Amino acid sequence: MQRALIYGLLTAAVSFLLGYFVEPWMGWVLFYLGLSLHLAMHYRNFSRLERWSRKPVLDASLEGDGEWDRVFRRLYRHEKELLEKIELRERDIARLIAAVHAMNDGVVLLDGLYQIQFCNKTAERQLGISSATDRGAAITNIVRQPEFVDYLARGDFSRSLVLRLERYFERVLSLSVITYADDNWLLQVRDITQTDRLDSMRRDFVANVSHELRTPLTVLSGFVETLLEIDVDRESRQHYLQLMGEQSKRMQSIVQDLLTLSSIESAPPPEDEVVDMASLVDKLRRDAEALSAGRHQIVLQIEGQGDLHGSESELVSALANLVSNAVRYTPSGGCITLIWKVSSQGAEFAVQDTGIGIEPQHIPRLTERFYRVDRGRSRDVGGTGLGLAIVKHSLNRHQATLDITSTPGKGSCFIVRFPSARVSDV
Amino acid sequence: MNESLHVSSQFDEDLSRLRTHVLQMGGLVETQVSSAIDAYTTGEVTNVKTIVETDRKVNELEKAIDNDCAHIIAMRQPAASDLRLVFGISKIVTDLERTGDEAKKIAKGVRRIYEAGHTPSQYGVGVRHLADAALNMVRQSLDAFARLDAGLSLNVIRADDAVDVEFKSIIRQLITHMMEDPRTITVSMDIISIARAIERIGDHAKNISEQVIFVVEGRDIRHNKEAIK
Repeated sequence: MQRALIYGLLTAAVSFLLGYFVEPWMGWVLFYLGLSLHLAMHYRNFSRLERWSRKPVLDASLEGDGEWDRVFRRLYRHEKELLEKIELRERDIARLIAAVHAMNDGVVLLDGLYQIQFCNKTAERQLGISSATDRGAAITNIVRQPEFVDYLARGDFSRSLVLRLERYFERVLSLSVITYADDNWLLQVRDITQTDRLDSMRRDFVANVSHELRTPLTVLSGFVETLLEIDVDRESRQHYLQLMGEQSKRMQSIVQDLLTLSSIESAPPPEDEVVDMASLVDKLRRDAEALSAGRHQIVLQIEGQGDLHGSESELVSALANLVSNAVRYTPSGGCITLIWKVSSQGAEFAVQDTGIGIEPQHIPRLTERFYRVDRGRSRDVGGTGLGLAIVKHSLNRHQATLDITSTPGKGSCFIVRFPSARVSDV
Repeated sequence: MNESLHVSSQFDEDLSRLRTHVLQMGGLVETQVSSAIDAYTTGEVTNVKTIVETDRKVNELEKAIDNDCAHIIAMRQPAASDLRLVFGISKIVTDLERTGDEAKKIAKGVRRIYEAGHTPSQYGVGVRHLADAALNMVRQSLDAFARLDAGLSLNVIRADDAVDVEFKSIIRQLITHMMEDPRTITVSMDIISIARAIERIGDHAKNISEQVIFVVEGRDIRHNKEAIK
């Protein structure tokens, strides 16, 4: 500023001297020329600034003359700092967004009208929102479950909402809404499918155990009461005692199965003895024949040779269980095929029957404890409801899988697949 | 200037509220259909009752939305795409309401079968699959409407053919059952009426999707096999 002032005063002084001592018009001309020059310089710099301000990018070539240069340099520095700050902030924001996307919980940000402002990837998956197309749309347009719409409309978010979505593989979601930044809402979605399933399994288990044990117990105590209060003759007394014996045996076998199950669950990995499969399969066939007592046709198919590594007693009990199930659930005259197949991919033991079959909706739950397709029927044939649960556990311990295919009315096929690491060639 | 801006944003708000109401009704209908299917597999009769009750709500929403449509046309004289949206909505609503009615029919059929002491899944195994496909169509058609997504609508329209084919094969299967064992005729007839209702649900979903395409693109592709290729 000073230099510009000095230049102006200097011009005025020289022009005054020239005008005073030589010719007044010459002084005026000099004064005029000097000021014009000054003005031209300022104008040039101003037009640079003006051009830059139209598109303010960081430009080192922006240079001015004299006083202007300092202004330009300050602008340059300011712009540079600003850009650095923005970049830093952007990196922070990007990191925050990445973190929100990485969360296991779904997060949806909503404005005051419950329109979607942002949602993370988990929420996209859980609720079927697509942030590319649904930003700005009301969330109830996408998540249309009446319970959810009512929940939002009610506006009481003190308790979270449990929502069952069969749309995405029977998920159970817990949704809670939190207010933030005045009139904005954060919808948090937690997937509680697993805990929900565990909860219901635990409840079922306790209810089932007590039910299964109480049924024979009721019979027992009924007879005890009768025997205590009424003087019965020897013959009926004998009959009652016999029934009581049956019931207590039944309770015993339930408790035994429960103990087996819990011991398998907590036991160390099975021993690694070599199990002679040829004789084991043959024994299973003989067992089946004995159990069937000629009512069924039993066929044995063996392909390839090979033995298994594992605990013989566990394998025998697991496979025998499958065989006895097949015999029990196949009406007289049916056919039961036992298949033992060894290949380079591993080994396979299959039991195929022409029995009553299983409805598809029961199949995934068959190995649950006390799960019964038909309560009356399976108890009639003397099952405890724990057989397949034990089978599945024993097989798991041998890294084997149990596949069940079935057509109601036509028959079922239970296939046990052992990995090749468990098979030894003979 | 300022005033017309204000008026048009109010209008936009009206339209978006209308859409939200349609989707709310859609949500109710979706739930009706899916609980009807659940009732078919599980035989839970309580479901049947709620389906019938929800139907009343659906009917009321239909009337309210239709009223709103008429109101918007009369008061605001919408043009071009806005007019198409209002027209489309008034047709979509009809299809939704009928979908709800079909769901109710399914539920009542299921109740009849179970009350007669049968389990429907013993007879019609494919019905469940058919129902899942139709439910999926309803969902996708509503998604397409929510997002005004013409591509998704086309998918729904194409899916309808598969549903029709499956419906026919179920009918054939049930006819065979009935010829083999005339005792199954009563149940089979009920299952056929259920399958027919499901097939109709697919048709309604298709109609909705056609309306969405009309709203988005302004072309009418009803009864036009060429347009969907």
